[in-house]
Amino acid sequence: MSTIELEATGIVKRYGPLVANDQIDLSVLRGEVHAVMGENGAGKSTLMSILYGMQTPDAGRIVLRGTEMHYRSALDAIGAGMGMVHQAFKLFNSLTVWENVVYGMEPTRFGFIDRREAAKRVAALAERYSLRVDPNAIVGQLSVGVRQRVEILKALYRDARVLILDEPTAVLTPQERDGLFDIIRNLTADDRTILFVTHKLHEVMAITDRVTVLRDGKVVDRMVTSETSAREIIRAMTGRAVNLTVEKSPGNPGAVVLEARGLTVATDGGKPVVDHVDLSIRAGEIVGIAGVAGNGQTELIEALTGLRIPDGGTVSIHGTDVTALDVERHRDAGLAYIPEDRATTGTALAASAADNLAMGFQRKPPLSNGRLLDGNAVTAHAKRLIEKFGVKIGSEQLAVGTLSGGNLQKVVVARELSHAAPLLIAEQPTRGVDVGAIEFIHGQLVAERDRGSAVLLVSAELTEILALSDRVLVMFDGRILAELPAAEADEETLGLLMAGRVRDAHLDGTEAA
Amino acid sequence: MSERSVRAFRFPRIPAVPLAIGIGILIGGLLVLASGGDPIAAYREILIGALAPQNWPNTLNWAVPLVGMTLVAALPLRGGMVNLGGDGQLVIGGLVAALAALYLPLPGPLLIAASILCAMVASGLYASLAAWGETRFGIPMLISTLLLSYPVIGIASYLVGFPLRDMATGLAQTRMIPDAARLPVISGPLNIGLILMIVVAAAVVFYDRRTVGGYELRMRGLNAKFAGYGGVRLAAQQVRVMFASGAIAGLVGAILVLGSLYRYQDGALLTPGYTWSGLMAALLAGGAPLGAIAAGLFFAGLQTGGFAMQRETAIPRVLTMILQSVIILFLAIRHGVGRKSS
Repeated sequence: MSTIELEATGIVKRYGPLVANDQIDLSVLRGEVHAVMGENGAGKSTLMSILYGMQTPDAGRIVLRGTEMHYRSALDAIGAGMGMVHQAFKLFNSLTVWENVVYGMEPTRFGFIDRREAAKRVAALAERYSLRVDPNAIVGQLSVGVRQRVEILKALYRDARVLILDEPTAVLTPQERDGLFDIIRNLTADDRTILFVTHKLHEVMAITDRVTVLRDGKVVDRMVTSETSAREIIRAMTGRAVNLTVEKSPGNPGAVVLEARGLTVATDGGKPVVDHVDLSIRAGEIVGIAGVAGNGQTELIEALTGLRIPDGGTVSIHGTDVTALDVERHRDAGLAYIPEDRATTGTALAASAADNLAMGFQRKPPLSNGRLLDGNAVTAHAKRLIEKFGVKIGSEQLAVGTLSGGNLQKVVVARELSHAAPLLIAEQPTRGVDVGAIEFIHGQLVAERDRGSAVLLVSAELTEILALSDRVLVMFDGRILAELPAAEADEETLGLLMAGRVRDAHLDGTEAA
Repeated sequence: MSERSVRAFRFPRIPAVPLAIGIGILIGGLLVLASGGDPIAAYREILIGALAPQNWPNTLNWAVPLVGMTLVAALPLRGGMVNLGGDGQLVIGGLVAALAALYLPLPGPLLIAASILCAMVASGLYASLAAWGETRFGIPMLISTLLLSYPVIGIASYLVGFPLRDMATGLAQTRMIPDAARLPVISGPLNIGLILMIVVAAAVVFYDRRTVGGYELRMRGLNAKFAGYGGVRLAAQQVRVMFASGAIAGLVGAILVLGSLYRYQDGALLTPGYTWSGLMAALLAGGAPLGAIAAGLFFAGLQTGGFAMQRETAIPRVLTMILQSVIILFLAIRHGVGRKSS
């Protein structure tokens, strides 16, 4: 445990005027789980992409097991024994597990892929680290947690000695998360080293040995996990003490704002992905939809917001039937919407912050008279929101593509909340976002509710659902499996319901469909 | 690892466009040299042919349709859509303008205006047909715009070859249009088509920069999903933009027929390849209107210079086409490489 496995010294990376990494030193011991923490924009992603060879640093050295490295691409880093599991998995969904794992390094026999040998090696590897995966399963049919194991297998197959896990628990159920922690323990027992990038303090406390904290591109603190506390880490990350729980008064539900009846989204031939969902959201309440990603939440929200015309059922906003109307008319009826994926839906990455923040306002005063845009008003609008929501960006004219996840999310949240609409749909509003930004966004959602807005929150993050919701709906397999008042919802019950196990959840006196 | 870890060789940073033009000129020069010509003389003639003051009218006259077709391609491209149907839309515009000029019982200026308007509306409607096909039935516009060109080119060819043929000549063409329908001349070959095109180009730039529609189109081009989520009505936008694109093609057809050819002649609008040069120019600029217009002007200069070079030296004007291709290829390489390493 005392040999240095990976050492980075004086790493500098600039993007134009922004210094993403400023003289970063990082030293990781062999066989440890080393957390890299920091708010969004602190430079974690940049540092990881440098260590993994995807970016070249402007200055600094990387020493892996005593040898200085000059990666030209991630391939060099992989060859040197680095592995990375990205937040968004990079898998071929239509191929089998073993095909994904051996891709690019296939065992061959007479020039052909030796399928049996490949499957055998993958199975042996999975066995060795207790990664329960069927090598012949099609990846697209696996749950997110299992797909993550495939990603880990992929890295191990290339004999990764150092494994970077980027926000690995963001998409997992609590049960899957515990499984991942077991896997991590198996890996470190085999002297492999884990770099664990996360925002979740309890996970850092639970699994890591040491912590390096980044802020504004610099290392602000290095700690031994067992000798520190969550509060101390937060203070290092944000420079202030952060309130981990959301303070809110009980909700004060008023008139129904969003109502769906028998909402159904079909797939070609198969069973519906959204199956006769009824829900109604009232002014002044936050309703949380809990569920593991991929149980129809995405499609449900698309049908509610007008991105997709439902195959059955009705949707009304403020009494207006919007079932078959386009997004613009949903928005006219009173919808504001924070989408699940800020990079592919919520923003245009190549467009400036000003252009991104103007979306949805471009046809109304003061930004335009309906035909001509007022450039000054667009700029002023952007400046005001950047200031109000504390988006870290050099100028409103810069493209948002270089912003970190949390800052990009702030752009989306700023824009949608500034509509002051009677209905807010927030889909995974804090996925991959740091503690400071989570606290901020949560506060904004509660403020939105207290203003009298109806808030529908979709999240795979149980702590978030539990902290914010006045009512919780659990979605499983396209249906609303259960509805619970916030008081009766706890992590274990919800976790079991999210896994579809109604019977084990011991729901007394609550309705379960 | 250590032998593989040599720092990647980097080109010094030369802006892509001058570099590509430089390489194009170099390769073109070598080709001329290899075939026994004098590259210096060739390039001198191209420059004189394109840029000497006495040749400006020629260059501009060539630039009007080329820049026009550049805008035809650039406008949809700004929103991430491709209009490959410029040829068909050009032909409709030219034929409708000729027929309106021949058969509408209107006096002078009114006849010109009506002919141009008919041409623009006809081409615009035809282009929006492809957009409607995509939004309503999911037929990709990339394919439908191209395929819709062939029938109209064929029908136009039949019409001027048989029912509408000018019996006085042996060619497949309509009668000459009346003098009243011809575009007023500015000087030499230049007519007010130039002014119309400047107005249209300015309008496209203004639309792109200042209007709500231009903003929504730009956002669609950068991320269509984002635009849709933000409330932009993508289907209606697509039909509108394709109508505008087609209408500009119709205008180009009308300007050529009413200003230079004075009749619709089978093949005359398509032989110079304005559509494809324009598409290249638009692609080079990624649909950005000002850049596209600049690229269109550059190609127009290169092509007119090529004619002059062919006249003055023994070098065929194909050289300018080679230059054009090499420049585009090298820009494409730079773009590709740039994207990979970033």
